[in-house]
Amino acid sequence: MIALTADTTFMSWLDSIGPLHGWAIATAVVVSACCAIVGTPLVVRRMSLLGDAISHAVLPGLVVAVLLGAQPGGIGVLVGATAAAMVTVWFTRFLYRQAGLWEDASVGVSFTTLFAAGVLLVTISGSRVDLDPGCVLYGILELVPFDTVDLYGWDIPRAFLSASFVLLLVSCGMWCTWRWQLFTAFDCDAAKAAGVPTVAVTVGLLVGVSLATVAGFVAVGAILVVAMLVVPAAAAERLVHRLHHAVWLAVMIAVVGAIGGYLLAWRFGTSAAGMMAVVLGVEYVIAILVAPDDGVVARLVSKLVYLWRVQCEDRLASFWRAEESGYARHESTVGGLVDRWLRVNGQVQKQENALVLTPQGRVNAEVIVRSHRLWETWLGRHVDLPVDHLHPPAEWIEHHLGEQVRKRIENELGNEDVDPHGSVIPREKR
Amino acid sequence: MIHLAFVMAFLPYNTLVVASGVAAVGCAAGVIGTFGVLRKRALVGDAAAHATLVGVALALLVTGQRNLAVLLVGGLVSAMVAIVLLVLIRKFTRTRDDAATAIVLSVSFGLGITLISGMVSRGIPGSGGLERFLLGHTASLTANDALLLGTVSVVGVLCIVVGLKEATMVAFDPDFAAASGWPAATLDLVLIALIAVMVVVGLPAAGAVLVTALVVIPPAVARQWTERLIPMLVIAGLVGFLSALSGVVISSLAVQVPTGPVVVLVATAFLVLSIFGAPCRGILWRTRAVSSLSSEFLTKTEVGVATPTGTERRP
Repeated sequence: MIALTADTTFMSWLDSIGPLHGWAIATAVVVSACCAIVGTPLVVRRMSLLGDAISHAVLPGLVVAVLLGAQPGGIGVLVGATAAAMVTVWFTRFLYRQAGLWEDASVGVSFTTLFAAGVLLVTISGSRVDLDPGCVLYGILELVPFDTVDLYGWDIPRAFLSASFVLLLVSCGMWCTWRWQLFTAFDCDAAKAAGVPTVAVTVGLLVGVSLATVAGFVAVGAILVVAMLVVPAAAAERLVHRLHHAVWLAVMIAVVGAIGGYLLAWRFGTSAAGMMAVVLGVEYVIAILVAPDDGVVARLVSKLVYLWRVQCEDRLASFWRAEESGYARHESTVGGLVDRWLRVNGQVQKQENALVLTPQGRVNAEVIVRSHRLWETWLGRHVDLPVDHLHPPAEWIEHHLGEQVRKRIENELGNEDVDPHGSVIPREKR
Repeated sequence: MIHLAFVMAFLPYNTLVVASGVAAVGCAAGVIGTFGVLRKRALVGDAAAHATLVGVALALLVTGQRNLAVLLVGGLVSAMVAIVLLVLIRKFTRTRDDAATAIVLSVSFGLGITLISGMVSRGIPGSGGLERFLLGHTASLTANDALLLGTVSVVGVLCIVVGLKEATMVAFDPDFAAASGWPAATLDLVLIALIAVMVVVGLPAAGAVLVTALVVIPPAVARQWTERLIPMLVIAGLVGFLSALSGVVISSLAVQVPTGPVVVLVATAFLVLSIFGAPCRGILWRTRAVSSLSSEFLTKTEVGVATPTGTERRP
């Protein structure tokens, strides 16, 4: 019964979204998938800014192609935009090599120039090009469903068709050249030496980027395509370590961003493209927070775990030292989280209102104290430190010395069994 | 030049003031941008520029008035926030620097677009005009606005003039500056803040998308002509001045043309001319020098003096 209710609300919700929104969402999904596929190698190869430049620079190619009579959303536009992207790459390299400009400055010069040329062409050519400067900047995803072509009796939006074509092209290309892409991405010089045509691989990747950019251009505009190219890839490569996993994850992140962004934009009455970029940004923030190896949360947790371990070990060692100096440690209250934790773990036990070490706890504590005193002895012998300066470094390193290191230090020291302060170094227990 | 003066003589007073204000912005952006480019911060400025939209939109939303000064202060705040975020991402995550720039740039621009479109669809008064901050539109500036922009630019250039030594130190060798006791980190921060200010006052002239050209292209032109800092600053200022001026003049003659693209294309024309024609570094110059050098080299080797540079070594 509950399932049925949920189902009906879902269906009615879908009804209220309607086929028009459905087409817009489908287009956005296909476009984001294209961008994520080519964006991942781009980010890994530190070419994100070239992607930025290309996405700005396809505009003049697009406009010139339309002025020359290509159909918007057709093959001619794809060719024109790819040509413009290649011009950008060439211009950037030209500025870098010939004009002696810095790398970032040459990217900055080339993309602003080409984008300016594109905007000026759009403005001057007026009604002959069916683009307005606003659309150039943030796309017309909302209008995509209204421009349809008739395909075997189905009215399919033109933008969706061309985006699907690009998706097919890009994923096939990626699939066929995957090993080369992988090799080039991680070690371009080695790939070259091994006979991989690295230049062709790079050019192929850039062609893929420009195709994806053109597909995305109509939907989300020039600048927000950058978000689709870079953000999902950057988020994915924080979360997983293998490139093909990163590609799949990037595609998923991009799809979630597209759908979520569109629905939120519809709910709040804002630009869909802008909202998609915002959702992608939120996803990126989540990714850097929860990244397993170097995420903010992971680092915080490992730091806390470490601090906790140090606290427990210090406490255990203090019990041992108290025992050594001859009096059992009296505690009026059992209080303290550390003591409780040690009791729960069976390292200490309660005896007549006092805490004493269990046999297991005694062994563990001895290891700590042994590490501490071995290190003090070693420092005292090999490093010219006054005796009262030996304690702090040993207090730190006692938590880090493993069994093998302790063994080697012991061999090195010979049969020294008293530390510089005159305390006995406990023996290793088997 | 005569033609330009002729056009200027027939422009109305408002356009004249706007033109001089925006030209001052171009000049200051060129001068300050030189340090940004030398410090390899060209695209940090770009990220800041795209982020200004958020602040501009929020300023309009909060204060409800379309005062240029208020909007630009909002833009400045959000630009600084974007720079801080960029630094944080670079410092605390393993995301590559270029990807971090692209992320901050595109996501903040998306947020700006979202805010503006949401405000437009709710019919908030004045929100329709925000689109002119995208590509720049000087035709709608008043004389007072231009005076504000001009004043900020003059103050910016004065800052550089006063702190020329410090800025040079930090731009060329921040480690050395720090090692010899300068507050290098603070100076670096001031320099970035100045770039952000320039990007913000450049907004009405070139728009959020293209304003980075104002701080990148003039220094690039100047780099072709000289190897020394002070001439480079002067040339960059001059190129920025001329490009901004021609942008305003052209867009005041053809109102529907946004100013930004015109400014950028004029500046790029300067750049291309300089790359080919500048003495010593220009391509034409180098081609000639190489051909003369190689012919000299050939004649020298024919007579048996095999020194590649053409100077004989004496025992």
